[in-house]
Amino acid sequence: MVLSRRSVVYMLLVSVLVLMLSPFAWLAITAFKDASELRAVPIHWWPHHPSPGNFVEALTSWDYFGYARNSLTIAVIYSVLATLASAWAGYGFARLEAPGKRVIFGVLLSTMMLPQIFTLIPTYLLFSKLNLINTYMPWVLWGLCGAPFLIFLFRQFFTNMPKELEEAAIVDGCGQIRIFWRIFLPQSWPVIATSLILSFSWTWGDWIAPALLLDTNRTTLAVQLTTGYHNAHGGTLNNLVAAGTLVYVVPVLVLFLILQRGFVAGVSTSGLK
Amino acid sequence: MSTGQLTDSPAGPAVQSPAGAAATQPPRRRRSLTARRAWSFYVFAGPWVLGFLALTAFPLGYALWLSFTNSDGLSDNPRFVGLDNYKEVFTDSETLASLARTGVFTATTVPLTIVAGLFLAVLVNQPIRARGLFRTLLYLPAVVPPVGAALTFRMIFDRDSGAANGLLDVFHVNGITWLADPYARWVLIVLTLWGVGNVMIISLAGLQDIPKELHEAARVDGASPWQSFTRITLPLLSPVIFFQVITGVIASLQTLAPLLISLDPTTKGIGSIPESNSLFMIDVLDQYLLGGRYGYASAMLWVLFLIIVTVTFVVFRLSKGAVFYSVEPEHAKTKTRTIGGA
Repeated sequence: MVLSRRSVVYMLLVSVLVLMLSPFAWLAITAFKDASELRAVPIHWWPHHPSPGNFVEALTSWDYFGYARNSLTIAVIYSVLATLASAWAGYGFARLEAPGKRVIFGVLLSTMMLPQIFTLIPTYLLFSKLNLINTYMPWVLWGLCGAPFLIFLFRQFFTNMPKELEEAAIVDGCGQIRIFWRIFLPQSWPVIATSLILSFSWTWGDWIAPALLLDTNRTTLAVQLTTGYHNAHGGTLNNLVAAGTLVYVVPVLVLFLILQRGFVAGVSTSGLK
Repeated sequence: MSTGQLTDSPAGPAVQSPAGAAATQPPRRRRSLTARRAWSFYVFAGPWVLGFLALTAFPLGYALWLSFTNSDGLSDNPRFVGLDNYKEVFTDSETLASLARTGVFTATTVPLTIVAGLFLAVLVNQPIRARGLFRTLLYLPAVVPPVGAALTFRMIFDRDSGAANGLLDVFHVNGITWLADPYARWVLIVLTLWGVGNVMIISLAGLQDIPKELHEAARVDGASPWQSFTRITLPLLSPVIFFQVITGVIASLQTLAPLLISLDPTTKGIGSIPESNSLFMIDVLDQYLLGGRYGYASAMLWVLFLIIVTVTFVVFRLSKGAVFYSVEPEHAKTKTRTIGGA
């Protein structure tokens, strides 16, 4: 009875898993087909002459690594600044008391529910008035403010740290800023890692902000991938798109497999509180 | 604490010089500890508050102001038009149609992903071998950046080279132009379901928080696994499910996936999105970027914003009584006894 139930679970899991992973497989299969094989009728389920040619062409037909560098620059700027700024604000919400704190925290929590897209277009108008279009300044500014969700993560972590830590420091005459910088921040490396991973992958994956704010030559890989691969007649070159997409996606997947905990800790914390 | 001091401390100290900000502290040392703490709180919360005011509150307010004008983003003196834009939102048949499509999309994908995610969470919570591996691999698609996911699904549902039509061909069914009306909506739904891993992980965390003793006691009392699931698991999981309903609704009301699936490499336009995938948020972008109707688009944005606030509020209200936020040990015991009696 127990055994049969377990085998049902396995069967279900394996079939769902095959379904869930098949898009990756199809992406890879498409990436290894040459142009003529892509048109084969009926379609080939497996490339008959797999060759890495598509990858070479996908990475060289335009400056793939240049766009990747743009993505990387923005993602590093934003994730480092947002992590530091969020830790900074999170410390305040966790360890300090002041009139109005509850209200401010309430506002913070409600902005967690507010999608970025709502403010993005009006912000875009604002940035264009300030001549910040086609610069990386928007990401610097966004980073310096910290992200509500990351602030929340840090706040949860700092709240649970023992009171003795800061009491001893206060007796020694340490100011709050030094307490934060010297005592609390160095202790919070698991959250720092999570925060860096999350904010990096948000920015790496973001499409709409760079599409609105950056010109074609300074934009990110995510934007360029959707528009870069076409022939003279405007037809999309699917095998190149597949190869380019694969190179764009695989580093994220590898990063996830190595640093699983950071990803998942963030997601499940968001679900519990 | 004057606002002047607040504005004097923009995000800088967080990144550059904690020492610089610390230097302003000594004169206050004589004050009581609580007063100093209050002052420090504002220093720490300041950057975020400023950022919120400048990059969230101000843009929202700016959009609100625009929504009462006929602004096109170019002319310097937009005319005040009162509620005209809002009237148009609620009378224009195309806008109403896209609002209805968005409602249908949300009402389809949110329950589907929550049920599927919970189902998977229950599966990977069973005492089976390699369940860690199953969890990781099932979550993998949720890690793929939206653009990567959209492009992957374009490969699968491509008319000529896609696997979907290849599969149909095996059964001698004619190929379908998936990325056009009326089929594009199904592609969008399948694409959304591919990210079910997020829901699974959150539900799984919820499942793991339920004390094992409850299920054991229920089993001893003769409850079937199904009874144990509906009477123990579901009620205790209700806060998690409730949270997912709200975040799911918000996510699907603002999704840009239709845009990413249909982006045309040559036009870069949003004009080529099939009508069945032209959701409200896409229309908003369309009005802003292609139509240049900033006033009208801002009104649409605010309507969507108010819809989200209302939906969140209604879900909150409806869930009262259905969501258990904490369970006292006694409460849990009575719960299991009722199961035994049933």
